[in-house]
Amino acid sequence: MKKNIYYSLLISAMVSVSVAEETRQVDKHEHGVGELNIAIEGNAIDFEFFIPGADIVGFEYEAKTQSDIALVNAALEKFGNFDNIFSLPESSNCNLVNSEIGVNQDDDHDDHDDHDDHDDHDDHDDHDEHDDHDDHDEHDDHDDHDDHDEEAHNEFVAHYSFNCENIKEIDRISFPYFTNFPNSGELEVQFVSEKGSTGFEVEGDEPFIDLKGKI
Amino acid sequence: MLIKLSISSLYARALTVSMTVVAISLSLMLYMSVEKLRTSAYTSFTDTISQTDLIIGARASSVQLLLYSVFRIGNATNNITWESYQDLENKEEVDWTVPISLGDSHKGFRVMGTNKEFFSRYKYRGGQSINIQKGNLFEDLYDVVLGAGVAEKLDYSIDTPLIVSHGLRSFSDHDDQPFRVSGILEKTGTPVDNTVIVSLAAIEAIHVDWSTGAKIPGQQTPIEEIRKMDLTPKNITAVLVGVKSKLSIFNLQRWVNEYPEEAMTAILPGAALQELWRVVGVVENLLLGISIVVIFTTLVGMAAIMFSNLNERRREMAIWRAMGASPSIVMGLLMLEAIFIALLSILLSVILLFGTLNILQPWIDYNYGILVNVEFFTLRDIYVFIMFIISSIIVSLLPAVRAYWFSINDGMSIKV
Repeated sequence: MKKNIYYSLLISAMVSVSVAEETRQVDKHEHGVGELNIAIEGNAIDFEFFIPGADIVGFEYEAKTQSDIALVNAALEKFGNFDNIFSLPESSNCNLVNSEIGVNQDDDHDDHDDHDDHDDHDDHDDHDEHDDHDDHDEHDDHDDHDDHDEEAHNEFVAHYSFNCENIKEIDRISFPYFTNFPNSGELEVQFVSEKGSTGFEVEGDEPFIDLKGKI
Repeated sequence: MLIKLSISSLYARALTVSMTVVAISLSLMLYMSVEKLRTSAYTSFTDTISQTDLIIGARASSVQLLLYSVFRIGNATNNITWESYQDLENKEEVDWTVPISLGDSHKGFRVMGTNKEFFSRYKYRGGQSINIQKGNLFEDLYDVVLGAGVAEKLDYSIDTPLIVSHGLRSFSDHDDQPFRVSGILEKTGTPVDNTVIVSLAAIEAIHVDWSTGAKIPGQQTPIEEIRKMDLTPKNITAVLVGVKSKLSIFNLQRWVNEYPEEAMTAILPGAALQELWRVVGVVENLLLGISIVVIFTTLVGMAAIMFSNLNERRREMAIWRAMGASPSIVMGLLMLEAIFIALLSILLSVILLFGTLNILQPWIDYNYGILVNVEFFTLRDIYVFIMFIISSIIVSLLPAVRAYWFSINDGMSIKV
């Protein structure tokens, strides 16, 4: 246990050094625009969603009150069942192999790389505990410092991997996401398969993408 | 009988009718050519690059990166360092990389530095490779390979010497280090046709005595010495990347976009192209809108001509009525006439369109690199034709109803 603490101290020291040396850059973050990446190879199809918190729960600060935390958890639960987010044609016979759902809090850039671990699900529970941490307040101070007080951002991240018996049958993917999250804006989709890449902009009035001839 | 009557009636007024037909067919042709150019431009663009998974350059908008790296339109905001390129090359997701370096020109054609792998990795039109038409790929430091368009327009052949100019429109030449044409590529219908291709080392070599964009006066390193130098580039403009598995593309893209040492952007060519097309789409719709308005105007014009003809044709109507034609037959005759005019216009417009496209196609290809698709009708064209015939019937209803009315009221009692 003690050893673990040492490790984490060591890691945090390393992180802060790397932060100091890093060139300053911040990810773009646009409310109302979620990102979706879809990749297909062989029988596998992968979905990655990155959606601003504002589009899901209506706020982007860290959930601290009971009701906010409840909102976030409810949203995560919805993401837990992919049927709430998108649907694939039944004839394609796709089975969910793996899914990872979580929230990326804040504009802290480095965290981003961790987010594969993040998706461990349990992590996400920690996340709520996180809030009580004193450490965290310091972090907020840091924001003040940059006059970024109001700029805390969070992002819902969801990965789903499927294995499909008839992947070529996927001619359309529709998104119940838009009806399940009334705050949702558009989804910017990047799509790639062996036939090449393409892009879509999906909005609630036409909540689907047409993939005929693209797989 | 009715048809025959209608045709002979049209024939009797051949001059006015043919003017109407010409006017309508010109506007139809306008509409169809906009449509053809639009679809051809789209396929030309999408056919330009295939089987490249990611394009990576300095931080820029995805459209800008796509335009300068693939279409040689516009310029890079920045270059990326060779170190970042090597980091990228060493990523396990990466299958192959082709670095490219842009910025110099030869007589208005862009010069691109790259390695030989470009010729085997760059694919267009659904996976076709670039083939060499004459000569060889660059062997020597000062060899260049020309796109088919460059060779044709400048009338160059193998061994023609050439000088590369610094920048795109500048008067300073790299005249101390002349190149020689070693190979000419086959025509591809892509921007490669209009590109002068050299090795990355050559780009480095011609800039040996240059600093801050101008030649250092009085300094000239002899070519022999340059040949001995380490000509690994210090920076490049963009990288074409192939990945081992499509499933790892987005991971790699994220890695590039978040690469801490240097601000870079990775794009999926197809997705960036769609984004570009959404912008172009506005102009496209505008053009389409204009041509639809033009068609509408001609339809209204056709109705106007029919109206004014009605007055001249009161006698003709009266004779028809006297011969026993009911008012509805008179009405039908006028509508039939409209259908004939519409059919004739469609026929003429198709002849005009394919005539002009066939004549203009080489010119458009030569100047804009767009291969206009001269195939015959698409389903959409036929749909437009049917819509046009229906709307001309509707338009002709007005004069037809009027004729119906008149032929009852005053058709028989001729007032002179």
